[in-house]
Amino acid sequence: MAGVDIRQVRKSFGRVDVIHGIDITVKDGEFVVLVGPSGCGKSTLLRMIAGLEGVSDGEIAIGGRVVNDLPPRSRDIAMVFQDYALYPHKTVAENIAFGLRMRGASKPDIEKLVGEAADILQIRHLLERKPGQLSGGQRQRVAMGRAIVRRPLVFLFDEPLSNLDAQLRAEMRIEIKKLHQRFGTTIVYVTHDQIEAMTLADRIAILKGGHLQQFDTPDACYARPSNRFVAGFIGSPPMNFATVDIAADASSVTLGAGASAAVPQAARPRFDAAAGRRAVMGLRPEHVRPASGGEAATAHGAVELVEPLGAETLVLLRVGDAALTGRFPPEAKLRPGDRVPLSLALEHAHVFEEETGRALARAA
Amino acid sequence: MSSTTAEAGARHAATPPARKGRARLSPLERAERRLGLMMLAPAVLLLCAVVVYPIVELVTTSLRFEHLAQPWMGTPFVGLDNFARAMSDEIFWSSTLNTVIYIVVTVPGAVLVGLGLALLANQPFKIKWPVRLGLLLPWALPLVFTGLIFRWFFEFNQGIVNNALMLVGMSPRQWLSDPFLAFVATCIAIVWKSSSFVALVLLAGLQTIPRSLYEAAEIDGAGRWQQFVEITLPMLRPAIVVALIFRTITAIQTFDIPYAMTNGGPGHSTETLAMYIHKTTIDFLDLGYGSALAVLMFAVSVVATSGYLRYTKRDPRKEA
Ligand SMILES: Nc1ncnc2c1ncn2[C@@H]1O[C@H](COP(=O)(O)OP(=O)(O)O)[C@@H](O)[C@H]1O
Ligand SMILES: [Mg+2]
Repeated sequence: MAGVDIRQVRKSFGRVDVIHGIDITVKDGEFVVLVGPSGCGKSTLLRMIAGLEGVSDGEIAIGGRVVNDLPPRSRDIAMVFQDYALYPHKTVAENIAFGLRMRGASKPDIEKLVGEAADILQIRHLLERKPGQLSGGQRQRVAMGRAIVRRPLVFLFDEPLSNLDAQLRAEMRIEIKKLHQRFGTTIVYVTHDQIEAMTLADRIAILKGGHLQQFDTPDACYARPSNRFVAGFIGSPPMNFATVDIAADASSVTLGAGASAAVPQAARPRFDAAAGRRAVMGLRPEHVRPASGGEAATAHGAVELVEPLGAETLVLLRVGDAALTGRFPPEAKLRPGDRVPLSLALEHAHVFEEETGRALARAA
Repeated sequence: MSSTTAEAGARHAATPPARKGRARLSPLERAERRLGLMMLAPAVLLLCAVVVYPIVELVTTSLRFEHLAQPWMGTPFVGLDNFARAMSDEIFWSSTLNTVIYIVVTVPGAVLVGLGLALLANQPFKIKWPVRLGLLLPWALPLVFTGLIFRWFFEFNQGIVNNALMLVGMSPRQWLSDPFLAFVATCIAIVWKSSSFVALVLLAGLQTIPRSLYEAAEIDGAGRWQQFVEITLPMLRPAIVVALIFRTITAIQTFDIPYAMTNGGPGHSTETLAMYIHKTTIDFLDLGYGSALAVLMFAVSVVATSGYLRYTKRDPRKEA
């Protein structure tokens, strides 16, 4: 087993710079998810770790050994591809055995290891089939079997679940997590799906346009996003953003069109950094709630859209110029046009610099 | 394979007889079926006119005596006489043997050379068109023209082959007047000409192989040669079979290149069955015998290519 060190790594294709100097240190046995919108360079970074793309600048080390000049086969890694890349003319057993055979393992060893891998993934009954005769979920399992059978130093996954339907995806997510718990092998996992990132990762590396935005635990990325992009990317439904004018003493914020909200004493330090200025306030939907019972309303909102989800109801509200989504209890019976007193939990608010999106004050 | 046929059989047995099935067609389905047949009709008629009719004509002629130089004999029905004559015709046997040798040499030759060219053309060249053009050119060249070019290449006094031999200090050879060398020379010309088509077919096949398979194999530890043997070749099998079929069919009909290079000579040493048929009918005007020879050649074609068809039905990605 081994960690992966990515040091000041850059990548350009011809004149196009795709990765602009990224530092990520994956600890031994850690599950790190690279997440970001399509085209941000996740696959490119992963393929550089695998050795399928050259490194333009910087260093990649696996288990402390710099691998920049090593071919993929000498890096002792295994990769699961988005399209699975199963050998279509080989049976499932031959697919899983291929890496062992290429490395000169003996026949009895191959048979034993393939059998074990097949048992772990519950595909023993499929061993004699060809990939063309398998469902998407089964192919996914075979691809993972091909990866685990060699017991490599590092597993690399490139959007392995994106070709599956929602239910299978949730199932395989659990399967992958179990595999990690079982083997404890270092995993670098690429996805564009923040839910996958949140549920799987020990730490998440969030990329945008070839720049690393934040590298932290899922909880920390959620609670203390380093900028507006991360704040909006992590969390579902996404964080609400509103351009606000903050009073000079940080006692209240104006959301435009005359709507303002009082900032409770405890929350004022969060707004201090931008006191007397304009900034972007971020507030998660769970912090936008109806004012209940004796509670004093901090703002009023007009209901625009109601989405009942069963356990809760998402309500899209207009407060001043801002559109805010709130997570309401399901018993709140609301209709578009209703005016509701709101309790905005500003002690959980995030404040971002208007121009750069940088987080000004982080939630404690 | 066997399980699918058994399945198909079971499904067949389970469906009710065809007439009952037809009775259950809705009027819309029936109208659609009628339209379908109507749309097929022109193609069927055309096929009858250009394929079925000539074949029937050929077979009936082969069973008659018909010699344009002996019109007074009429065209009496002679049964299998023409075929019996072929069996004892030395030139028929020698030209058949030559054809077989052409097949055995030029079919694998063209497929090997074509595979090499296709692999070369599939490399990530910066500028692709000169490579593609180079591949297309021999294919686009008319056959007779190819024959004439190579006749000039192998010519004794000015041919570039002998010139090249003399440059490296070897003595010139009688390429086109020595029976063995003439055969070699025509084979080289045929392989050069036909490998370009094979290369095009195989290149198309190569481009359907996903890159990620090679990447997975590389991570799995396969070297260049192992990737070729374990992935490229098996994935290319259907394309190779198609190329083999086409190359074999054209090899059976080998005509133009030896015709232009040697006209079958010296003696009958490079004469093929197709050339002998041509000579019999066009030069000697013996239509009956020529037709019988053509029927024999057609039969050989069918037998030879039906052997390959077994392989095309098998899709390497599906079979268990
Ligand atoms: N082989 C390549 N040649 C040129 N540009 C590439 C190549 N591979 C990827 N890119 C570009 O690099 C950027 C990042 O691609 P990729 O890493 O695949 O993104 P992601 O996986 O995050 O969606 C994209 O803009 C893409 O167009
Ligand atoms: Mg990608």
